[in-house]
Amino acid sequence: MGRPSATGLADVIDTILDRGLVIDAYVRVSLVGIEILTIDTRVVVASVDTYLRFAEAANRLDMAQSQKDVTDVIQETKGQPSVDRAKNVVQGVLEAADEKLEEFADQVAQKREEEPTRAERKDK
Amino acid sequence: MGRSTKVSGGSVPKQATRRKQTLASYVYGIVPADARIPSDERGLGDPAGKVTVVRHGEVAALVSDVDVDQPLGRPGDYVAHERLLDAVASAAPVLPFRFGSVVAGADAVVNELLQPHHDDFLAALNELAGQAEFVVKGRYEEQAVMREILAENPEAAGLLEAIRGTSEDATRNERIRLGELIAGALEAKRDMDTRLVCDGLAGHYTQAVIREPSHENDAVNVALLVRTSQQEALERTLSAFGEQWSGRVNLRLLGPLAPYDFVTAQAEEV
Repeated sequence: MGRPSATGLADVIDTILDRGLVIDAYVRVSLVGIEILTIDTRVVVASVDTYLRFAEAANRLDMAQSQKDVTDVIQETKGQPSVDRAKNVVQGVLEAADEKLEEFADQVAQKREEEPTRAERKDK
Repeated sequence: MGRSTKVSGGSVPKQATRRKQTLASYVYGIVPADARIPSDERGLGDPAGKVTVVRHGEVAALVSDVDVDQPLGRPGDYVAHERLLDAVASAAPVLPFRFGSVVAGADAVVNELLQPHHDDFLAALNELAGQAEFVVKGRYEEQAVMREILAENPEAAGLLEAIRGTSEDATRNERIRLGELIAGALEAKRDMDTRLVCDGLAGHYTQAVIREPSHENDAVNVALLVRTSQQEALERTLSAFGEQWSGRVNLRLLGPLAPYDFVTAQAEEV
């Protein structure tokens, strides 16, 4: 799949791959009743490579700019940032996410039409 | 098609037999028997079968034929699975099955799935009525969060000074330590920001499941079970977070989706 679907596909895989009911004659179905939140910290496994990359990312920060921005950032997280612009941004992101999904679904639908010819994979 | 089936989620049953195409029923999920399903929907697999509804009593399974000799798992297969379930979820309660659930055929869908589990399925569907899943995803803006971490952590700031203008070989240990500090700080921020979002959205959802991060810059990755009537309020409140975090975290809201994170299978006491 090409670039446009990258985000969408990642979301899809994140969502359906290890979630959902499992069919088995010996399994009973029920809903999880999680009210108390737990945070699983096993997560993304950090490695030396990750550390070196983080360090390099920090190293690339423009110091002159960062001196100034640090306070801005802190203010923004604590205080009230410029509201109007931000609102538009978020609204935009939400809408974009919606559109992306629809757009993506369309593309996939299209793709499926084309796929049988293209995807004759030689698995055997 | 008298093959006896006990297929658990995972993959299509391997059948080392004839060349002839062997069809089985791919199961997407369970819906109320009277649910209205988008017509002319095509499922996954190659070629993609037409999605049909197999009813039994008050519940029904969404299925389509798949060739059991064809492996599933192309991007289009994943997308087709979720697309169908999400399309249904916006109109009716649905119990989504894990990707890759296949049973022998329409008869087996009734005899081995719907009939034995009818009451459990119905009870779960009733619980879910009027609700759908939404997923809140937030990703840190790397530069902004790095600056935040360096401002809050004197040791990290000192290490950054130490590696400035040096080669990676010359200050490898300092770099590793710096990276480790950043990774730890990111994790702490993720935990805190996830809590902030969950607390801030409280009242707009009935259940929440915190997902594992899918990226190291993830700020939030949480699935919420939301009443349809709460959707707007949820979006409004989340927008407020977005305002506050503008330039720091990119927030996205996915949904309404089928409640993937809120159904589970429990082993029955034998």
